[in-house]
Formats: sequence, C-alpha cells, structure tokens
Amino acid sequence: MTAAVTADPAGRDRDGRRRPAVPSWALGIAGLAGLMALAELVPRAGLVRERYLPPFSDMVSALADQAGTDAFWRALLETLRGWAIGLAIAMAAGVVLGIVIGGVPPLRAALTSTIEFLRPIPSVALIPLAVLLYGTQMRSTLLLVVYASFWQVLMQVLYGVQDVDPVARETARSYRFRPLTQVRTVIWPTALPYVMTGFRLGAAVALILEITGELVIGSPGLGRQIAVAQNSNAVPSMYALVIVVGLIGMLVNAAARAVERRALRWHPSVRREVVS
Amino acid sequence: MIKVRAALAAASLLLLAACGGGGGGDASGDGPTTVKVSVIPIVDVAPIYLGNQQGFFTEQGLRLQIETAQGGAAIVPAVVSGQVDFGFSNLTSLILGASKGIPLKVVAPGAGSTGVQRKDFGGVLVKAGSPIRTAKDLAGKRVAVNTLNNINDTTVRASIRAAGGDPKSVKFTELAFPDMLAALDKGNVDAVQVVEPFLATGLKNGARLVASNYVDTAPNLTIAGYFTSQKTVASKPELVKKFTAAMQKSLKYASDHPDAVRKVLGTYTKIDPSVAGSLTLPTYPAQVNAAGLQTLANLAVQDGLVKSAPDLKNLQP
Repeated sequence: MTAAVTADPAGRDRDGRRRPAVPSWALGIAGLAGLMALAELVPRAGLVRERYLPPFSDMVSALADQAGTDAFWRALLETLRGWAIGLAIAMAAGVVLGIVIGGVPPLRAALTSTIEFLRPIPSVALIPLAVLLYGTQMRSTLLLVVYASFWQVLMQVLYGVQDVDPVARETARSYRFRPLTQVRTVIWPTALPYVMTGFRLGAAVALILEITGELVIGSPGLGRQIAVAQNSNAVPSMYALVIVVGLIGMLVNAAARAVERRALRWHPSVRREVVS
Repeated sequence: MIKVRAALAAASLLLLAACGGGGGGDASGDGPTTVKVSVIPIVDVAPIYLGNQQGFFTEQGLRLQIETAQGGAAIVPAVVSGQVDFGFSNLTSLILGASKGIPLKVVAPGAGSTGVQRKDFGGVLVKAGSPIRTAKDLAGKRVAVNTLNNINDTTVRASIRAAGGDPKSVKFTELAFPDMLAALDKGNVDAVQVVEPFLATGLKNGARLVASNYVDTAPNLTIAGYFTSQKTVASKPELVKKFTAAMQKSLKYASDHPDAVRKVLGTYTKIDPSVAGSLTLPTYPAQVNAAGLQTLANLAVQDGLVKSAPDLKNLQP
C-alpha cells in the first residue's frame, strides 16, 4: 500500500516522518531467528547440558515426530476445545452479568466488595476444589478457565457500562425506551470496545489456565502431553510441545485482535489505526 | 448491523470450536459397563493398558476408560467422591488414607519390587565421584524424594537402618522425578531416590547406585495397587469382582510377556524406545504381599507419618 511512497529517495513518508530502514516485520523475523540460533548454540557450546536443554534442531525434529501421531492432534483439539468452551461461557456470563450489574447502580454498589474479594483469587488456587468436584476430567480445568477469564470480561463490561454518556442514557430513558432497546442502542455501542478488550484479555488468560490445568491436574490436552513427556524423560518432546503451546498463544492473540478490529471497524480508535 | 454480525460470527465460531469434538456419551443399558480408572502414566501401570489391549476387560463385560492424573493426590479424592471407580496408588499412601479414616480397599496389586539387590526398578543414585558408597553413608546427607512423608522416604530410611546407619539424620528434600537428575548433577542434593525411566537414564549418564531401597525394606515388597472406596465395594460388588478378575489376568499376562510390556509403554508414555527396551521393569505380582504391607505400615508409624497403624484387614483384598 506504500509502493509509491517507497520510491521517495529521502526515505520519508507522506507526513514527512522518517521511516525505519528495515520494516518491522523483518525485524520481528530477525528477532525470532536470533532466539532460535541462541537456543541452538547455547547447548551446542556446552553452556547448558544437552540432556536438560537440547539444541533447537532436536526440538524441531521431536516436533516433527509428534506431528505424525494421532495423540498429538487429539491433544491439540482437546486444548482448543477446552479453551473455546471456557472462553465462550466466560464471555456470555461476563457480558450478561456485566450489563445487568453495571446497569443497576444499587446492585453494582452491593456487589463491588464481593467482586473485589473474588476477583484476585488466583484460579490455580482452586485446583484442589476443581479436583474434588470433577476429578481429573476436562470439566475441572474448564472451571479454572471460566473462573479466570470471567473476571477479565466482567470488569471490562462494567467499565464499559459506566462509560455510557449520561445524556444519551437520560434521553433514552425519557423517550421510554424499553430496557432491552436501551441496552442495544445506548449501552452496547459504548461498551463494545470494552467487551472486545475483555475478549482479548480473556482469550489469553483462558489459554494460560487451560494449559496449567492440563499440566497440573492431568485433564486431557497438550499440557498433559507435556507432563507425560516430562515424566518419560523425553526432553526434546517436552520442549517441542512447549513451543506448540507458544505458537497457539500467538495465534490466539492474533485472532482476538482480528475479531476486535472487525467488530470495531466503525470505532474511532480502530479507524485511526487503519488510516495511519 | 455489521458490528452485531461480527460479534455473532465470533460467538458462533467459538461455539463451533466448542462443539467440535463433543458427543460420545456412554450408552447405558445392556451393553458393556463403563468402568473408570484413574492412574498415573508411569511404567507401573503397563498391565492395565496391556490387558485392555488384549481384551481382558471386554471379556468381563467391562468397557475400560483410563483417566490419567499427575499424582496420587488427585486420585484418592476422585475415587472417594465416586468420580472414578478405581484408582492406582502406592500402598503407603493408602495406609495413610486408611489411618485418617478414609474408607479405602485394595482390589488388586499393581506393581512390586523385583526383590533383587541392584536390579530393582527404583533405587538411590549418587554422582559418579561421590564419597557416598553405601546406604549407611546417606546419614546426614541431602536426599531427594518425590513426595515427603510417603513410601520413598520411609523405604530409604529402612535402607539406612538395614545398613547400620542413623536414619534420623538424613535430610529429605521434595523434588519431582524429572528434576532429580539435574539437581544431582548440579550438586543441589547429595543423592536422589528415582524410579524408571530415570534410574536407567541416570545410570547411563554415569550416576552410581548406592541402595535398592525397596529391596532393603522387605522381600518381594508390593509397592502399589489398584483400590476403590468401601462404598463401591458395598454397592457394586459385581463390578469389583469383574475388575479384579480382569486385572489379575492382565497382571499375569504382563508378568509372562515383558516384551509386550516394553512395547505398550510407547502407547501411553513418551519413553524413548531404546530406554524402554533396557529399563528394569517392576514385577506385576498376583497378590499383595501381606508381610510387606505390614512392614510399610510399621515404617509409617516408626517414622511418625501416622500415630497408629490402621487395621490392615479392611484395606487388604
């Protein structure tokens, strides 16, 4: 899109700002390549023992071996499924409760202290409870995922509802808009950017808790595969799976951003980003 | 409205992904009874995977559903609350549970010591150049075990005692099995109590075996077993009988076919095939060694894990 500008001999774009000599995506790739080279060289040079941190190439070949097994793909699906179900529940509950609690000031005042008490409880601390309730099944991890990402969404929705222009709200009220119409025409458009932020934060947190649950509880998924590899002393496989989890994290973040952009195309914050 | 559509699209995408691998609920009725068993994915539980492969559970009209947990700590609650029908655990954990009044019952043995000095599936390793030569030298040293106040520290103390050392002065540190060899290498601990595949790996990397702690404790010690709750014993006697029968057949088969055991390891662990071919397998005994169980209970009392030994009659099959 900047083909014409690139020809500019001064290396400046239309606004006269200096563009960096190397595009940012190239720098990103260079950074990754550097990390890979480091992960290859450090064990090769004997700085750490290969049997505890194998060279990067060993991890890649272990990853290739993994990719040829059914168990790997099943685990990947199980992880994605747990993440998606957990996030969907957290989103639905967070948005509905957020709008209800945020929209009724006395309710909000009554619940603030409760929310502030429950929110900081780390999900991981609920592992014993989850195991007692659901054993080592997927549901116990789901509980952790929903608990952690729900607060991310709820808090954002509460902020969003609070941000509604009082004049618009009063106007809607004096025109006797029905509550659902008020939510649709007044509250939702204001809250949507916040909801999307909650979605992005929740998506990342949900993945962290999904993997943690699988790793610690042993519910099915990539986390459990990592634990099995660890218990089998299959060190390169373990690191290979860790790399996969990292890649999923990157994809989840990119996908959440894409959804956010699409849902907020009309919003000034996104429009400005696209223009610049 | 575009934004509503986008939000809907995102939501439906999530739901779609959510529904992706669902379904497959169990059909109750005349078909096979589903039996849920919670195990730790280690060498000890190879017979249940092997027996399932050989159809020993189907023969009994059971459809086996194996769930894996990361440790015994998650298994006992799951069995007691009825989340799963049976669980796998070492016997000391079950003795501790029983002495705390948790109603448990062993229904089949799981894995046992080979009973052969220096050729067991678990043991105490030290670094190649360590001054520690025998279990007696462990007194006053730092020894890593995977769980404090459980079977591994009490049996290491038994080793020291048998060698004429002072078991009270040994300092135990809790470390997960996968972290032990690295900790030994770095000198964070003086000795580690490991089981396969870490024992074979450690020996291959130059560590030295100083004690076979399970062998020192009692002859032909049964280490672990499959258990259920007394409630299940009372309410589903048929299920318990069938499971025990299938388990017995699986243990026998595993005992007679060590090569099949080594092969089945590849299906539920990621142990390197070359290691799986050379590691020392535990025995898969036909019954729980009663004398050994009594010894473990006595050690639990002696080392202060419990105040008084539980009535082992209720625990035993």
